[in-house]
Amino acid sequence: MISQIGSIAVSLAGGLIFSSFLFLGIYRKSKNEVYLQISERAILASSYSIFLAFFCLLNELLISNFNLQYVAQYTSYETPLFFKVTALWAGQAGSLLFWSFITALFTVTYIFTTLRKMKRLKFHSFIIISFIYSFFIILSSFIANPFEPVSSDIIVQNGNGLNPLLQNFFMAIHPPILYVGFTGSAIIFVMALAASISKDISFDWVQSIRRWSLFVWTFLSAGIILGGYWAYNELGWGGYWAWDPVENSSLMPWLTLTAFIHSSMIQEKRGMLKKWNFLLATSTYILVILGTFITRSGVISSVHSFTAENLGPVFFTFLSLLIIYTIFWFFKRKSYLDTPDKIDSFSSREGGFLYNNLILILMCFTIMWGTLFPILSEAWDGNKIYVGASFFNQLNIPIGLVLLFLMGIGPLLSWNNTSRNVLLSRFKVPMFISFFSGLIYLIFSTFFQLYVFVAIMGVSFTLSSILGEFYKSYKRQTRASNFLDALFRMLLSNRHQNGGYIVHIGIVLLFIGFIGRAFEVEKEFSLSPGEQIYFANYVFKLNSIKSEARDNHYAFLSDIDVVDNNNQLLTNLKPEKRIYFYWNSDPEKRQPHSELDIHSTIQKDIYSIFSAYDAQKNIGYFKIMVNPLVNWVWIGGVLMVLGSLFAFWPSRKRK
Amino acid sequence: MSKVSTSILIIFILIVGWIVYLTNVKKDNSLTVRYYSISELAREIDDIQKVKVGGYIKPNSIEISDEDQLDVSFFVYQNNDSVKVNYYGIRPDLFKDDAEVVVSGSYTNNLISATELQTKCASRYEGDLKNIEKI
Repeated sequence: MISQIGSIAVSLAGGLIFSSFLFLGIYRKSKNEVYLQISERAILASSYSIFLAFFCLLNELLISNFNLQYVAQYTSYETPLFFKVTALWAGQAGSLLFWSFITALFTVTYIFTTLRKMKRLKFHSFIIISFIYSFFIILSSFIANPFEPVSSDIIVQNGNGLNPLLQNFFMAIHPPILYVGFTGSAIIFVMALAASISKDISFDWVQSIRRWSLFVWTFLSAGIILGGYWAYNELGWGGYWAWDPVENSSLMPWLTLTAFIHSSMIQEKRGMLKKWNFLLATSTYILVILGTFITRSGVISSVHSFTAENLGPVFFTFLSLLIIYTIFWFFKRKSYLDTPDKIDSFSSREGGFLYNNLILILMCFTIMWGTLFPILSEAWDGNKIYVGASFFNQLNIPIGLVLLFLMGIGPLLSWNNTSRNVLLSRFKVPMFISFFSGLIYLIFSTFFQLYVFVAIMGVSFTLSSILGEFYKSYKRQTRASNFLDALFRMLLSNRHQNGGYIVHIGIVLLFIGFIGRAFEVEKEFSLSPGEQIYFANYVFKLNSIKSEARDNHYAFLSDIDVVDNNNQLLTNLKPEKRIYFYWNSDPEKRQPHSELDIHSTIQKDIYSIFSAYDAQKNIGYFKIMVNPLVNWVWIGGVLMVLGSLFAFWPSRKRK
Repeated sequence: MSKVSTSILIIFILIVGWIVYLTNVKKDNSLTVRYYSISELAREIDDIQKVKVGGYIKPNSIEISDEDQLDVSFFVYQNNDSVKVNYYGIRPDLFKDDAEVVVSGSYTNNLISATELQTKCASRYEGDLKNIEKI
């Protein structure tokens, strides 16, 4: 019953969007405001219909209605309540409906806040929103329908259950957060196009689109970092980033959006770069859809790829239409977007932002090239080429290092132009600190690595430059009564800028984590209980291997003592080898899983995997990795999100 | 255009050209790997330094060494062709008969010496309904 309501709600949403198109057409002819109103209502009603469909699916998951294919495939009676909810986005059909749901949430917010103030953007916003809606509704009703019943000849007694790898808190919250970022970029797309088409780019508009961008950026960043955190703690290959097409397609829009947040500042301050900003704002959403196309159509073979329904052609059509529409209006509004002002100095804040844009777009380009190259090459001469992590690392490490220095240089530059003397006096201290730390590395490192050397200099340069800026503005707080008061006044004095600096410090900390990757070591070995092995200055002693039947799996539990060079017990690691569905008589259907154990400190992680167990000989097979500085990646990630929330959070109205 | 944007444009074009060169013209082996199909590889007589190949594990072909559990050999098949693979190291959890795998390594004497072995990741678990309990 409920599932029929859900199904009908999806259709209803489609009908309402169709009528919205109709009334927009009538409005265009008659210019009668009433029709614009009706179309707005139709979009709102369509959004509410999507909400309804979404809650219907949620209900079916919660009551375990296995008559629905989706519910049977991703949940079972044993699935914990929390993961029944998260099954909403575990599969194709559910995640598409979830995507529509967030798009609808954003649209309603956009209509009730931004469009209340900027009425002239309504008409073109509604056209584009209706277009985006109709695409997702077509997908949910015809191609990946979450309310599809199981075939009538079988009765399902219990569902499949959620994949154990996905039964992890961070995996559960990572997709929705990333989706908020993905779908939110639709609003930026709509705003950029609507304002340019209706020739209504105002100062308010720039501020508003910047706020939306910051919001979307926060979620995109958090989603990407959480994905890495999950991969590191659950997947057991010891890393958090593998340059997989799925990861790349979330990073590309992040890069263009980051570029937009910076270059739109020039538009805010000086009214320049409108064309460029238009392209950045629109390409972010286009890249989101491109990424979704790549990951869901199966055009690129990836370890992550979806293979199920045939979404490729539909996504490709949508993508092409978005691109054609954007390019069409870009050329039609080229002269409107032209600005007479020019950036005339390399050593100005604007110049700094331009370099930043150059670097970010270059990164985006290399990643896109590497991700799409297999398709291009196959279309060109039939050769399937695999582009591995070494390609992305080789290109992006040097580009990233330039970016690291730029984050320290930018804050020291003034708007318009910076004179040579001022430049010299501002750069003095950070340069000195940077050279000094480089020197320390040269003295103490056992073998020289160029990238590590440059990265250490970059980290210390940028960190001292940003902290120096904080210190200067702290000194200006003369009215403060004590240290903390001054600190708060300083932070609150210019929230946008300070929030940005906090984000930059977060990124510098990320780089510290990246440096650690140059020092990672790993070893695979076998041990019987009682035996030990020496590796990376530690002794690993296997005490025992026990086994245990648990609720939904069977586990082999290892117990390893880690002893350091001073013969002190450092920690005890207990990685597990688990077999899910172990009661199944068909070994095909059993699912092994290695549950890691990590000893994590601020300097290094000792990462242990129990890979296999030979019960006859009582031998365990293990992989140990020592990963320095990984925690700095997570600390940096948290700081990035906090900083951007700080910049975004609305300030209280002053008297 | 001002001299700033012109010079930035030039830098950009140069770097982009370099990237395209790296992947396309130079075909540097350290950066890219050619992806072969099993049937292509089965017909290949010459040795290849770097290959990547995807297929399914031939049922009952997995042989694990008695001395060292990390030492394994198996056949990867696709349609009617198959190729033997040697691998040393820890195997992914989903490694079993008929699992879809991607193998990379070198190809000599009709044998792949794999340095990397991946099974299809389960993060998108679009399996059929095979585990479902039916009546």
